[in-house]
Amino acid sequence: MTSIATEAPSLAEIRPARRALRVRLGRRALPYLLLAPSILLLAGFTYLPIFRVIWDSLHEQIHGSRENHFVGLANYVGLFSDTAFGQAVGNNLVYAAATVPFSMGLALLFALALQRSTRFNAVLRALLLFPSMVPLVAAASLFFFIFLPGVGLFDYYLAKIGLHGANWLGDPDIALWSLIGITVWKNAGYYMLFYLAGLQTMPGEVLEAATIDGANGWQRLRYIIIPLLAPTTAFVLVIALINALIQVDHVIVLTKGGPSNATKLVLYYIFEQATQNFAAGKAAAASVLSVAFLLALSVISLKTMERGAHAAS
Amino acid sequence: MRWLPSLAAAAVAVLAPAFADAQTKIDFFFPVPVDGKLAKEMTRLVKTYNDSQKDVAVTAVYTGSYDETKLKAQAAANAGKPPAVVLMSANFVLDLKLSGDLVSLEPMLKADGTTRMQFLADFWPALHANATVDGELYGVPYQNSTPLLYYNKDQFKEAGLDPEKPPQTWAELVADAKKLTKGNGDTIERYGFSMPEGYDYLGWLMEALTMSNGGKYFNEEYGGEVYYDTPTMLGAAQFVEDLVFKHKVMPQGVVEAGGVSTNFLAGKASMVLLSTGSLSFIRDNMKAAYGVAFVPRNVRNAVPIGGGSLVMFKGLNDEQKKAGWKFIKWLSSAETLAGWSRFTGYFAPRKSSYDLPEMKDFIAKHPDAKVALEQLPYAKPWFATYQTVAVRKALEDEIQAVLNGKKKAPQAIKDAQRNADALMKPYVDQTALKLP
Repeated sequence: MTSIATEAPSLAEIRPARRALRVRLGRRALPYLLLAPSILLLAGFTYLPIFRVIWDSLHEQIHGSRENHFVGLANYVGLFSDTAFGQAVGNNLVYAAATVPFSMGLALLFALALQRSTRFNAVLRALLLFPSMVPLVAAASLFFFIFLPGVGLFDYYLAKIGLHGANWLGDPDIALWSLIGITVWKNAGYYMLFYLAGLQTMPGEVLEAATIDGANGWQRLRYIIIPLLAPTTAFVLVIALINALIQVDHVIVLTKGGPSNATKLVLYYIFEQATQNFAAGKAAAASVLSVAFLLALSVISLKTMERGAHAAS
Repeated sequence: MRWLPSLAAAAVAVLAPAFADAQTKIDFFFPVPVDGKLAKEMTRLVKTYNDSQKDVAVTAVYTGSYDETKLKAQAAANAGKPPAVVLMSANFVLDLKLSGDLVSLEPMLKADGTTRMQFLADFWPALHANATVDGELYGVPYQNSTPLLYYNKDQFKEAGLDPEKPPQTWAELVADAKKLTKGNGDTIERYGFSMPEGYDYLGWLMEALTMSNGGKYFNEEYGGEVYYDTPTMLGAAQFVEDLVFKHKVMPQGVVEAGGVSTNFLAGKASMVLLSTGSLSFIRDNMKAAYGVAFVPRNVRNAVPIGGGSLVMFKGLNDEQKKAGWKFIKWLSSAETLAGWSRFTGYFAPRKSSYDLPEMKDFIAKHPDAKVALEQLPYAKPWFATYQTVAVRKALEDEIQAVLNGKKKAPQAIKDAQRNADALMKPYVDQTALKLP
């Protein structure tokens, strides 16, 4: 639009009103023009798939026939009457309830311990961050050997201190906890980064004032540091919750949801329905529920984060 | 330079038919379930084929595991570019046919002037059922395996057993395993027996045990029936439970295949059930002396086959179909199959492969491969039903519960049968129970 305006032979020939309109239109259109590439990509790779999966979740193709017909909410009803789905949701809740507080608590501890920038601390930070730089698939493959019952690295060191290990991935009472352990090991260092950043931006004078007023270490932590870190905590919480729903690599590599469905998480359930059980409709319905949950989570977290930011400032 | 595009278009228009006449280009999707050197060998094979003739140009595409290959082939077919030939897990053939993804190979047989019976005559009888759906040929067996008992000869000697006399029956297996198991009190240092109990492998081995107990396991002719709640299966499930809890010769809980082979190599398990496909791996990595034997029997010798078949996907034009079939015939010739078998450790699905001189030499040099070959006449078809994977898992989940002491065998097989029947109900309703 603007280029046309400059190329026009004589600006004086254009009446002022029309010119103003054109400029205004140009100004209006320009942002959309600039946004167009991202909007197109976002629409193509995010919105369209969401609508497609909603559409899919309302249809069912019976395995063995080629017909694809509208079934309304039958897929959702089927989902809730499927004990495997209930089990997957239950497993996922335990998984989230354990991985989120453990990895966040450790992250905060690490960050508090390593907040002063010394050379030694820098090395320790790098070491703690290291697990989060290993892809989850690779980490899971390593843990396959670490968790081997009897001959694995873990059992080897347990034997050194006189303990004998369990069947870490083959016992339905333990397997999920083994996966939780891997997740905490993997994510704590990453969340530590956010807490470190939060601690760096903390106003020093507040802490100084508290110290002068005679607050001890615990009181400083309890009444100043943790409240001031609230926006960081809210942010990390959201990331950790999202991770608890979207990370599935270790399940695929290590247990495939077993033994006896003990480690089947929601995303693995979806994968299984879609790729192994020819139940695309059910998989789509479970995906819709997951996406809805993630969206709700994002909206709530954005709101609380705004409030948290106001409270902090 | 306006003339340039039109000139190019003209050139393409003139030359394209010439190229098309000369060569048909097709894709071949293949998985490598075992290890990476097989992918190189397969690429070499395809190159040999492309160099040997001018009509067909095959592009070999490595597509990961069997599961991934199925997904990728279906995705390619949905996108309108079906692969002409796919090496597919043999027990997916039925499900893929039911979902309408595969081409029947009957017209090709007819064009060649042969019949399914004549074509399959050279293949081991156990392979026929998995290649056929509803009386038509859908797959050509390519690489196959059976379970096999591997045992540590050094440990046999140490335990006072004859290393040349591996157990042949379940009773002998238990007796030997008790002598081989070592430990004090609760901590067991060495288990007499172990087998892979992760998904897929467990179903296969339960089939081996049930069939060795005289059972049929599933209806090979009809995809809507499994025989989980039967005396033969009860015996097999109870046997597994007893090995862990009564005889205490097998580890409690689920051990994956990787764990079983590692334990065997490390001398922590004296006897293991593994696929014949593991022969090369064990041969290359085992330090102690080892032997192989038939899967022990209770009623009769029987093992299921496993492995992959060559299939063709729907949506190909006639040229591509012809080219694909030509390539399949070359890949499944006695010579190619014999070479692939020697390289990989799979057995060759054609009986005539073993009449070739280089194959006779190989068998003479490797007595373990000979045992695997001798077990073949006792082989049976591999488990395949409507919803193969889910129906298989219905049993595996229950047996895993038994292995962990969460359920008793009689209850486990009842629950497995109920869940499997529910999964197959839509198909049964459409077929066997759809009455006039």
